[in-house]
Amino acid sequence: MNSLELLLLSVLLYMGSALLSLLCSRVERTAINLCGIGGMAAGVAGLAASLPVLLSGHGMSANLGGPFAFAEFTVRLDPLAAFMVFVISLLATITSLYSLSYVREYEGRGAWAMGFFMNTFIAAMVALMVVDNAFYFLVFFEMMSLASYFLVVFDQHDEAVSAGFLYFLIAHAGSVLIMGAFFILYTCSGSMAFESFRQLHLSAPLASIVFLLAFFGFGAKAGIIPLHSWLPRAHPAAPSHGSALMSGVMVKVGVFGIIKVGIDLLGATSAWWGLVVLGFGAISAVLGVLYALAEKDAKRLLAYSSVENVGIILMGVGVGMIGIATGRPALGILGLLGALYHLINHAVFKGLLFLGAGSILFRTHTKDMEKLGGLGRLMPYTAAACLVGAMAISALPPLNGFVSEWFTYQSLFSMSLDGGFAFRLAGPVAVVMLAITGALAAMCFVKFYGLIFSGKARSEHAAHAHEAPAAMTWAMGLLALIAIALGLCAPLVAPIITRIASSLVGHGALAVAQGTVVFPGDPAQATLSTPLIAILLLAAPILAILIIGVFKGERLGRRHGGPAWACGYEQEDRMRVSADGFSKPVSHMFDALFRLRSALDPAPCLHASLQRVIAGATRVEPMWEDKVISPIVRVVQWIGTKVQWLQHGDFRIYCLYVVAALVVFLMIAVA
Amino acid sequence: MLNLQSIPLALLQALVLLALTPLMTGISRQMRAKMHSRRGPGVLQDYRDFFKLLKRQDVAPADSGLVFRAAPYVIFGTMFAVAMALPVFTHFSPLGVMADLITFTYLFGLSRFFFSLSGIDSGSSFAGLGASRESTLGVLVEPIMILSLLVVALIEGSTNLGSISASIAGGYAKSPTAIVLAMLAFGFAVFIEMGKLPFDMAEAEQELQEGPLTEYSGSSLALLKTGLGLKKVVMAQFFIGVFLPIGAATTPDTFSAVLAVIVVPLRLAVVFLLASLIENSMARGRYMLTPRVTWVGFGVAALAFVFYLAGL
Repeated sequence: MNSLELLLLSVLLYMGSALLSLLCSRVERTAINLCGIGGMAAGVAGLAASLPVLLSGHGMSANLGGPFAFAEFTVRLDPLAAFMVFVISLLATITSLYSLSYVREYEGRGAWAMGFFMNTFIAAMVALMVVDNAFYFLVFFEMMSLASYFLVVFDQHDEAVSAGFLYFLIAHAGSVLIMGAFFILYTCSGSMAFESFRQLHLSAPLASIVFLLAFFGFGAKAGIIPLHSWLPRAHPAAPSHGSALMSGVMVKVGVFGIIKVGIDLLGATSAWWGLVVLGFGAISAVLGVLYALAEKDAKRLLAYSSVENVGIILMGVGVGMIGIATGRPALGILGLLGALYHLINHAVFKGLLFLGAGSILFRTHTKDMEKLGGLGRLMPYTAAACLVGAMAISALPPLNGFVSEWFTYQSLFSMSLDGGFAFRLAGPVAVVMLAITGALAAMCFVKFYGLIFSGKARSEHAAHAHEAPAAMTWAMGLLALIAIALGLCAPLVAPIITRIASSLVGHGALAVAQGTVVFPGDPAQATLSTPLIAILLLAAPILAILIIGVFKGERLGRRHGGPAWACGYEQEDRMRVSADGFSKPVSHMFDALFRLRSALDPAPCLHASLQRVIAGATRVEPMWEDKVISPIVRVVQWIGTKVQWLQHGDFRIYCLYVVAALVVFLMIAVA
Repeated sequence: MLNLQSIPLALLQALVLLALTPLMTGISRQMRAKMHSRRGPGVLQDYRDFFKLLKRQDVAPADSGLVFRAAPYVIFGTMFAVAMALPVFTHFSPLGVMADLITFTYLFGLSRFFFSLSGIDSGSSFAGLGASRESTLGVLVEPIMILSLLVVALIEGSTNLGSISASIAGGYAKSPTAIVLAMLAFGFAVFIEMGKLPFDMAEAEQELQEGPLTEYSGSSLALLKTGLGLKKVVMAQFFIGVFLPIGAATTPDTFSAVLAVIVVPLRLAVVFLLASLIENSMARGRYMLTPRVTWVGFGVAALAFVFYLAGL
C-alpha cells in the first residue's frame, strides 16, 4: 500500500471504531476496547503512512473529486503534513493504549460516547492536515473543534460546561477569522483549492491582512496570549487522554495553520510578520510559564505550560519567517527546525505529563497538588516517567526539550548576528525571554514533581494510592522512552526535520548533523552532542561511587527512617511545602505580570458582551407583546367589561330580554 | 569531530579542579574568619571535613525518595562533566563539541533542578523553603548569565567557549567596552552562583542554611558538599575561561604547560579571594528584596548589549 492508501485506512479505522462504539452503548467494556484497539491500529497505519514521506522528503497528492463542484477533494501529503500526521498518529497510538484502562473510570457514564468523540477528534485532525482545499479544511477544522468541545463538557459539572462554552466561543471566533482569510484568498483566486492560493501574488497590504486574520484565527486555537484564556480551563476539564491530545496535538494544529498560511500559501513575503509571530511567541512563553507556576491544579499547570511551549514553537516559526522574508534561507531553515523539533518534543512530553496527571487522578481522584504528595514511593513507574517528562519540559540536557530549545537559541543567535537593526535588537531580547522561560519552567516542574511525588501524602486518597494499571504505565513508559530517544538521537532526527523545513523554505537542505554532533548549519558557530553529554553524565557519577566506596572504612549502612528535622519540634502537616508557598517568591517578584493576567484576559470582556447581547435580546423579545398583542388584549378586555352590564343575573331582566327579542324578530318578520 | 586524544586532558583537568575544590572553599572560609577577626580553621579544613563525613553513616528521613538519594550523584556528575569541557589549562576546550555557552547554562540548570527537587523530596519543610529559594535564584540569575554571554558570543560570532576564549585571549579587539561590561555582569552572576551573600544564607540561621542541604548527612553530605564546591570552582573557571584566559597554554611546549599548571590555581584563588572580600564587606539583605539587586546585574548586561549594538 502506498502512503495515501495507508492514510485512508487510518482515517477509516478511526471513524469505523468510532461509529461501532456508538452501537455498543449497552456493552461499554466492548466499546472501550474497540475504540482503544481501533485507535492504536489507526495510529500505527498513520505512522506507516507518514514515515516514508518523512524519510524520502517527497510528498504526494491525489485529487478525489468529491460531490461538490465548487470544491474538489484534494489530498496532499507534503513533508510538513506528513510530519504533523506522524506526530498526531504517534500520540494517538499511545493515548489509545492508555485509554484501554483509563476509560474504565467512565464506565456507566457514557464511555462509549467518549470513544466516539475521541476517535472522531483524531480522525478530523489527521484529515485536516492533508486536505488541500479551503472548504474541506474548514469542515474538518469545525469537526475537530466540535468533537473536542464534547470531550471538554463530558464531565457535565458546572466548571466543565462553562469552560466548554468559553472554548466554543473562542474556537468559533477563531474560525470566523480563518474563514475571512480564506474568503479573501478565494475572491482573488476564484477557487477554493490551496494550490490556486499558492499561485497568487497578492499586494503587500492585502497579503498582510490575510496573514493577520489567519494568525489570530489559528492563534486562538494555539492558545497564544492574549487569546489563551480558554485553554487552561478547557484542557483540564477533558478526560486526561483527551487533554493529552488537546495540549499535545490540537494546539499544534494552530501552529500548523500559521505555518501553512504564512509560509506555504503566502510565502512569508514581509519580514514584520515574522517579528509579530516572534513577539507573540516570546510573550506567550514567559507569561504562560509564569501563570503555570502559580497554579495548584496539576492539569491546569500543564495547560498553562502548553501556552508557554506554543510560545517557544512560535519563536522558531517567527525566526523562520524572518529568514525567508529577508532572503536568508539558512536562517529560515534553522528557525523552522527549532520550531518543528519543539513541536514534536512538546507533543511527547506534554502528552506524557498529562497521562501522568491522569494516572494520579485515576488513583487518587484529585488534581489538587496540595492534596497529593508522597506518590513517588506508591506509584514508582508513574513517578519515574513523570520525572523524565518534567526534566524534558524543563529543557534539561541531554533530553529532547533541550535539543529543540538549543536550536531555537541558535536560530535567534544567527538572526542577531547580522541583518537589519530591528532583528539585531529583537534576537537578544527573545533570547533573554527564552532564558527566563527556561528557568521558570524548571522551577514550575520542580514544583509539579515535588508536590505530587515527594514528601508525605497530604490526603487519605494519596496515602492509599497504588500503581496505575499496566496499559497506563506502558503508555507513559513508551512516551518517556521516546522523549529520551528524541534527545539522544538528535543527530539522526535533526536532518529529517531539516528536510521538512527546507521543503517549506524552498531551498536545498542545510547540513545540521555529522556523526554524533548537531550544529546550526555551521559547526564553527556552535555544536551540541547529546550522546556525549549523556555518556559523561552517566560516567561521572561512577567516580563519585568509587570515592564513596574506597573511603567506606567502618561506615555503617544507610539508614532510612525517622522524621525530617524541624528545629527540634515535631513536623506538622501545615508545615509542609505548599503550592502557593513554593512559588511565593516568584509571584511576589513578578506581581505586576500576574495582575496583567486579569487585565489581558478576554473572557470577562466576552462575558460582558454576552451579557449585553442577552440583555438586548430580553429587551427586544417583549417588543411584539408590548406594542401589538397587549393593546389588542386590552381593547378586548375593555369591551368585555362593557358588555358585562348586560348580565346582571336578575331573572326578570333576562325575561325582558326574551320578550324584547321576540318583539324585534316579529317586527322583522312582519316588515 | 570529537577529538579522542584530548580526553585524558579533559579527565586530568576535571580531577585537578576537583582536587582544588576543598582548598578553594577553605580559602573562602579562612578569609571570612579573618574578616570576622576569628582565627579560622585553616585553609585545609574542608579536606578534613570531607574525609570525616565519608566515614559517617548516611541517614535519610522516612519521607525522602529516590530523587533525594540520587541528587548528590547527579550534581557531582554534572559539575564534573562541565569541568571536563571547560578550557582550563588551554585556550581550547578538550571536549570542544560540548563547550557551548547555552549547553553550559542548561547543565547548571540541571544541577539546580536536582538540588532544588532534592530539597522537596527530603520531606522537610525547611529544605522545601530552601528549594523554592534556590529555584527563584535561578530565575533571577540565568537571564543575566545568558545575556552577558550572548554579548560576547555575538562579538566573536560563535557560542563555542573554545572559540571565544581563543579570540578574547588575543585582546579585547572588537567592542572593548561591551566586553568589559559583559564581564562585570557575568561576574555578578557568577558571584551569586557561587552561593555568596547576600543571596545565600550560608552560615546564617540554621533553618535557612544552604537550603536543601538540611537533611543530608554522612557520605551523601560529603558528596553533595563537594559537588556544590566544585560548582563554585567551575563557575569561577567559567568566568576566567571566557573573559580572562591569561596564562593558558597556546602552544604544546613544556614551558607553557608548566606556566599553565602554576597559573590555573592562582587565578582561581584570586577569584575566590575577591569574591569573599566582596561578600564579607556586604550587608545581608532580605530575600524578597533580591530582585532589586539582581536588576543591577541585568541592567549592566543590557548596557553591554547596547554598547555592542553601538559597536563600542
